[in-house]
Amino acid sequence: MAINNDVGKAPAANGNGKWNVPTGRRTDEWSEALVLVGESQDRSAFTRFFRHFAPLIKAFALSGSSLSASHADELVQEVMLKVWQKAGGYNPEKAAASTWVYTIARNCRTDMFRRLQKFDTPLASDDFELESEEEESFVVLHTRRGAERVRELMGDLPPDQAQILAKVYMEGKSHSEAAAELDLPLGTVKSRVRLAIQKLQGLMEA
Amino acid sequence: MAHHHPPMDLHLEYAAGALPVAQSACVAAHLSYCQRCRQLVDRLEDVGGAHLERLDPQPVGESVLESVMARLDDPEPLRYAPNEASDTQLPGLLDRLINGDYADLVWKRVTQSLSISYLKTGDPSHEFALYRIAEGGRIPEHTHGGSEMTLVLRGGFADESGEYHPGDFLVREGWDKHTPVALEGEECICLAVLDAPLRFTRLRHRWLNPLLKLRAG
Repeated sequence: MAINNDVGKAPAANGNGKWNVPTGRRTDEWSEALVLVGESQDRSAFTRFFRHFAPLIKAFALSGSSLSASHADELVQEVMLKVWQKAGGYNPEKAAASTWVYTIARNCRTDMFRRLQKFDTPLASDDFELESEEEESFVVLHTRRGAERVRELMGDLPPDQAQILAKVYMEGKSHSEAAAELDLPLGTVKSRVRLAIQKLQGLMEA
Repeated sequence: MAHHHPPMDLHLEYAAGALPVAQSACVAAHLSYCQRCRQLVDRLEDVGGAHLERLDPQPVGESVLESVMARLDDPEPLRYAPNEASDTQLPGLLDRLINGDYADLVWKRVTQSLSISYLKTGDPSHEFALYRIAEGGRIPEHTHGGSEMTLVLRGGFADESGEYHPGDFLVREGWDKHTPVALEGEECICLAVLDAPLRFTRLRHRWLNPLLKLRAG
């Protein structure tokens, strides 16, 4: 496991288009907080976690600007409450804290969109999560290394590919919606995504 | 073990929460069969986590923290419990939509060897249905007006390009013309997600096409 001791570095969210690769230590801080919440319902660890992630979840809710500020606050509440309830199932060996929070935020946002559109479905996004099963230990090892490499790769993507990935991930846009909004042909969007994916794939198979 | 998998761009849209609910459910059902794809999706979710870390934080009022803290002791919402009595051995998500056994569903007979049962996902633009083909039975040659995802749940079938078994996932586009035949020995049940109806191409089956009108919802 690679340990990055460069803890003095500024946090990643600087908005200038550059990726500061988060340090291993910094990630560990948040997975440790999550474990404390899960194991001992530690409210002060939860509060620290909230102060760090709530503003990011709000930014996530507002990206694509389809939710109002009050819905964004409501989403923050729903996500953070789920974080509290589900922390017992968090396994720091299997996922970075930010990835774990991202999947909860993504699911809550999907459900909120559907509620706001009075979309009647018998399925909630949580139903899509697989029952956690024991993975072989080599899989877990692979998982940790893979997660670190994904972060490094994100820093190396050309801006036009990074822009599309951000649109798809942060705004939940399909390739065709992203194409319409960026005023690009669908083929261009697909080929940029494909190039980014090829890099990811090379990395995943390495 | 599955040998046919969703393409990467579908996995990426799945991980990004950008797929319509019916397609998303079909990809999720494949994941329950396929560890390889689960790992891929885990990596693609890391891409989402990395993006989240990088957003410009937006101020959140203290009142939001206070109201969350006040709700921490609320009872947790009830979660759906897996159907213990079910013997379908299906991914939990499908088990829930089917809610019982295949035999309890309403099956509409289309040809002698093909019946279809429509399941409700609420997706306004995709039909989500089970296709049941008698062993050795054939689905008449057809094309699709749009895209079709297929996941084999029981038995298997073969078509012009290969043989498919439980867990195998296929995507077909409108122009593909194919004639699936169920393997011998067991009936075949597949999940199919369509955004446009099937169209039988042979003259003697075309009269059936109006029966296949898309049933989204």
